[in-house]
Amino acid sequence: MINLIAGTRLRSAVCDMEGIVIRQPEHPAILACGGVPMVDVKNPASASAERIAQAEPNRALIGKRYVDEESGLEVLCSKQGLGGLSFDGRPLTLKQAKPLPASD
Amino acid sequence: MTQLLENIKVVEVAIYGFVPSAAAALADWGAAVVKVEHPETGDPVHGLSAYGVNPGDGGVTALWEVFNRGKRSVGINIGTPEGLELLMQMVDEADVFLTNFMGSARRRLGIDVDAVMARNPRIIYGRGTGHGPVGPDAEKGGFDAVSYWSRPGASIAAISPGGEWPVMMPSPAFGDLQAGLHLAGGIVAALYQREKTGAGSVVDVSLLGSGLWAMQGSIAGCYVKNSSSLEQLDRLRPPNPMANIYRTKDRQYFVLGMLESDKYWEQFCAVFGRQDLAKDPQFIDSRQRAKNNAACVTALDSIFEQMTLAQVREILDTQEGQWAVIAAPGDSVHDQQALDNNYIQFVDYPNGARLPLVPLPTRLNGEEIKLRPAPAHAEHTDEVLTAIGKTSDELIELKIAGVIS
Repeated sequence: MINLIAGTRLRSAVCDMEGIVIRQPEHPAILACGGVPMVDVKNPASASAERIAQAEPNRALIGKRYVDEESGLEVLCSKQGLGGLSFDGRPLTLKQAKPLPASD
Repeated sequence: MTQLLENIKVVEVAIYGFVPSAAAALADWGAAVVKVEHPETGDPVHGLSAYGVNPGDGGVTALWEVFNRGKRSVGINIGTPEGLELLMQMVDEADVFLTNFMGSARRRLGIDVDAVMARNPRIIYGRGTGHGPVGPDAEKGGFDAVSYWSRPGASIAAISPGGEWPVMMPSPAFGDLQAGLHLAGGIVAALYQREKTGAGSVVDVSLLGSGLWAMQGSIAGCYVKNSSSLEQLDRLRPPNPMANIYRTKDRQYFVLGMLESDKYWEQFCAVFGRQDLAKDPQFIDSRQRAKNNAACVTALDSIFEQMTLAQVREILDTQEGQWAVIAAPGDSVHDQQALDNNYIQFVDYPNGARLPLVPLPTRLNGEEIKLRPAPAHAEHTDEVLTAIGKTSDELIELKIAGVIS
């Protein structure tokens, strides 16, 4: 299992997607794209899984940040593919603005 | 047809309602507005609950849409040197810079007048403040309920007769939206001046100044009457019973606004079949109706209490005096006159939500204003920064460094 420290660059085993870990998760687990564990960006040998042919509904989009609220993991999509991201089986969600609560 | 402000580039570094609504007004007239938000927190309006309306109610964040329709949003941390330089590269190309950051923040961030105008001497620097650029409260923050509504006297003036407590603003961002238009008007004036002189300028509008502008009828009136407040309308003893509020049998309200009542009184009585009132010496002219106001209101009340609003409406529409049904704000979406004039426009969202927004009410040559949804937080970061020459590798590096969204 890849250690997801900040700056780690990964790529999908099933599509062209590449990502960078921005924030490390609190607990180690598997980061997957298209349901298949992602691999080190410099490790072409481990890309053995069958490639997906269609964009997934939660497809990671280039330049967008994806988070797992539970573990704190944040991943930046640096190259767009077809797959969506998941961590420990939980789909990552697009990072939203976090304003302070305010009321009028 | 070309819109008035087409090709005018506006950079907005502002939060909440006042200055963002000024930029929204410019966008309604066709300006290309880029809103700069903090990459993590964004504009607090994303999370603002106001008057019981919460973010996401109805599938949209209503106030966010009101203040930011038609803009693009970029997420840049301008508190970093790299982020500030990105902002300044946008300033290089811009016609207008708008901010409501407080003086201390503007100086700390390096986005105060001197810094921005040194970078682009042709830029119009629009500055929204709580209380104006000089004086003891120049550095003090404000909101419209505080600086526009309460300090200029509106809150006291709105107390109904017999009421004890001052009244809060009647609508979210009531003052922000007025002051925002004042600022938008100033920006357009400054752009006109730049056409003549070639130079940029600083446009100042404060919530306090706008609130005082709105209350000046009372302020001048109080002075000449040597009082602190003008007399509030007592419905039962109005100076002119033809400028007063009435209620129908079905508990609906309407207002008569016949200031020149002598012009309308006879016809008014006739359409209700009450020629006797028109001939009654105690109501014969405006002077007599003022003197016998309680009796006059009682006589009119006794007519309207017997009728539904629909019946009153049908009859009042046959006479010439000014009047209106007193509507609730939510009723406006059914006001055909408002819809026909594009004073209310429904905006459709990809998730199926719909929102009635009010386009800029000032129109040039009958030009159509077409509203577009507000951006998601930092939605256009890549697009906008690519347009100022950043490569995708540079963007990724800035993202890893947390400088941009």
